[in-house]
Amino acid sequence: MDLMLVLQLLLGGLQNGALYALTAAGFALIFGATKVFHVAHGAAFTLAGYVFIYAWNAGWHAAIGVAAALAIAVLFGIGMERFVYRPIQRHEGSFFTVFVAAFGVSIVVQNLVGMVAGRGFASVDSSLSQGVEVLPELFLAPVFWVAIGTAILLFAALTLFLSRTHAGVALRALAQNPDLLRAYGLSSSRLSILAFALGSALVAPPAVLMAMTTGLNEAIGNHVMLLSMAATMVGGIGSLRGAAVAGVLLGVAESLVLLVLDTQWAEAASFLVLFGFILFRPTGLFGVVAAK
Amino acid sequence: MIAYLANLATLASIFGILAVTLNFMVGYAGIFSVAHAVFFGLGAYAGAQVALALVPDALAACAAAALIAGGLSLCLALPALRVRGEYFVAASLGLQMVALTVFSEAKPLTGGLGGLIGIPQPRIFGVSVGALPLSLAALVLILLAIAAMARGSFGRTLQAIRDAESAAEALGKHVAVAKALAVGFACAGAGIAGALFALHMQFVNVESFTLEQSVLVMAMVIVGGTGTLLGPLIGAVLLLSLPAGLAFLPFIPATEVGAVQQIIYGAAMTLLMIFRPAGLVGDLSRGRSAA
Repeated sequence: MDLMLVLQLLLGGLQNGALYALTAAGFALIFGATKVFHVAHGAAFTLAGYVFIYAWNAGWHAAIGVAAALAIAVLFGIGMERFVYRPIQRHEGSFFTVFVAAFGVSIVVQNLVGMVAGRGFASVDSSLSQGVEVLPELFLAPVFWVAIGTAILLFAALTLFLSRTHAGVALRALAQNPDLLRAYGLSSSRLSILAFALGSALVAPPAVLMAMTTGLNEAIGNHVMLLSMAATMVGGIGSLRGAAVAGVLLGVAESLVLLVLDTQWAEAASFLVLFGFILFRPTGLFGVVAAK
Repeated sequence: MIAYLANLATLASIFGILAVTLNFMVGYAGIFSVAHAVFFGLGAYAGAQVALALVPDALAACAAAALIAGGLSLCLALPALRVRGEYFVAASLGLQMVALTVFSEAKPLTGGLGGLIGIPQPRIFGVSVGALPLSLAALVLILLAIAAMARGSFGRTLQAIRDAESAAEALGKHVAVAKALAVGFACAGAGIAGALFALHMQFVNVESFTLEQSVLVMAMVIVGGTGTLLGPLIGAVLLLSLPAGLAFLPFIPATEVGAVQQIIYGAAMTLLMIFRPAGLVGDLSRGRSAA
């Protein structure tokens, strides 16, 4: 087997995996803190990516585009919490009610984006995404380092936030015991808004980077949502670190599977992994048993 | 016009079968599968192959479809026995994605993206019959079976498991057997719907068995009301006539009709969940305990 090809696929997988890891961490953060299975997480990704593409094509500075992508993702997340999840939970909505409502929203977003921005492939051309031959037959675009760097940086920031700041500790407390949190006089509804804002903000950087690398289409949200859900479960529900590690693993697996199979099987491979985990190890890699 | 209405009625009965069988899993057994289109597809391919390769007999096609879909429903029953809630939905999503890839890649059996074409007209013992009476008859039979089961001990056992699994087990109910049977029955039903679909359309390809289709069937069940007998049927008729209705609206460009439809489905699902989680037919207190 061609070593360079393996390396190329591995690096590509790492790059995608870093993006998946960020998205999955957002999903896991929201799920851990609020117990909402946020299926519309992928819709935030789609919106952020397309807003960035729009800003780029309009000739705005890239920083403004990123800011706009962040803003739309955060607004979408908060809107979902305020206008969809909270009203449902007010009348003791079950898990499934939440799931269907969120799925409905992602269908709406997907089709609206398709109508407004046009269906099919969309991406931006930036000098960052042009491959350079770093070793014979091994191409690497600068965006690879940006993706890995962003992921590491954001994870460090997130860990610091969750362990060192007041709000971060409160978020972890909300994940563990909402009743006790309320007994201490903290507002759980404000904290869940924070969780949604933060978790949704995490999709903006990967959405922007994916617009620069592999490109987007209006259905990308589905793929991303399924992957972050898979990563959250493979990593173990309630573990951010697990979601991140599993995100990287799934990205690499999706890429390396191309060595033996055609592209069409890439997605199926991730889900086979997920299916296996659910059957044989439902607690995931780093799972803490849910019963506390 | 009559042919158009007959086509719509046939599709409504076929999707009615899908919706009522899914509802049997969701509403009675509490198993929230988003992979119903997989078994619809299995049935369609099985039925089409029987009709193409052996005899174009509707009963044979339906029997083969029910056998294959029901047999492979073990893929769904296994996770259903091990995990609940989010985990099961995730498992069924995974199954749906994997199955879709298998459908489009197993070209000798499914024709891949091109699909299977030229499926002969349905016959019963050599006599040609229309797809509409066949589908209607199948729908009525399946509805009767569900009604009988729901009232009988099997349905009660399932409802007990749905509401309190450990309590049902403590009462000596075989939880695993009951769940596997419920899944098997519902998937076999979906298989029959698939065979009828193949015979009616005379063409099947993988596009009819996507995640979107599974969600559409789910939406029919939810819009109509989970855990009710006729709710899903009403949901199926409503959601199927929606595209027909939209096609007559002049101000929507033809290329956007599909998108507008999808947006309406999606918005209806979300709004119903917020304002009427038990569906149009279901009564609210029951819907809550069922969900």
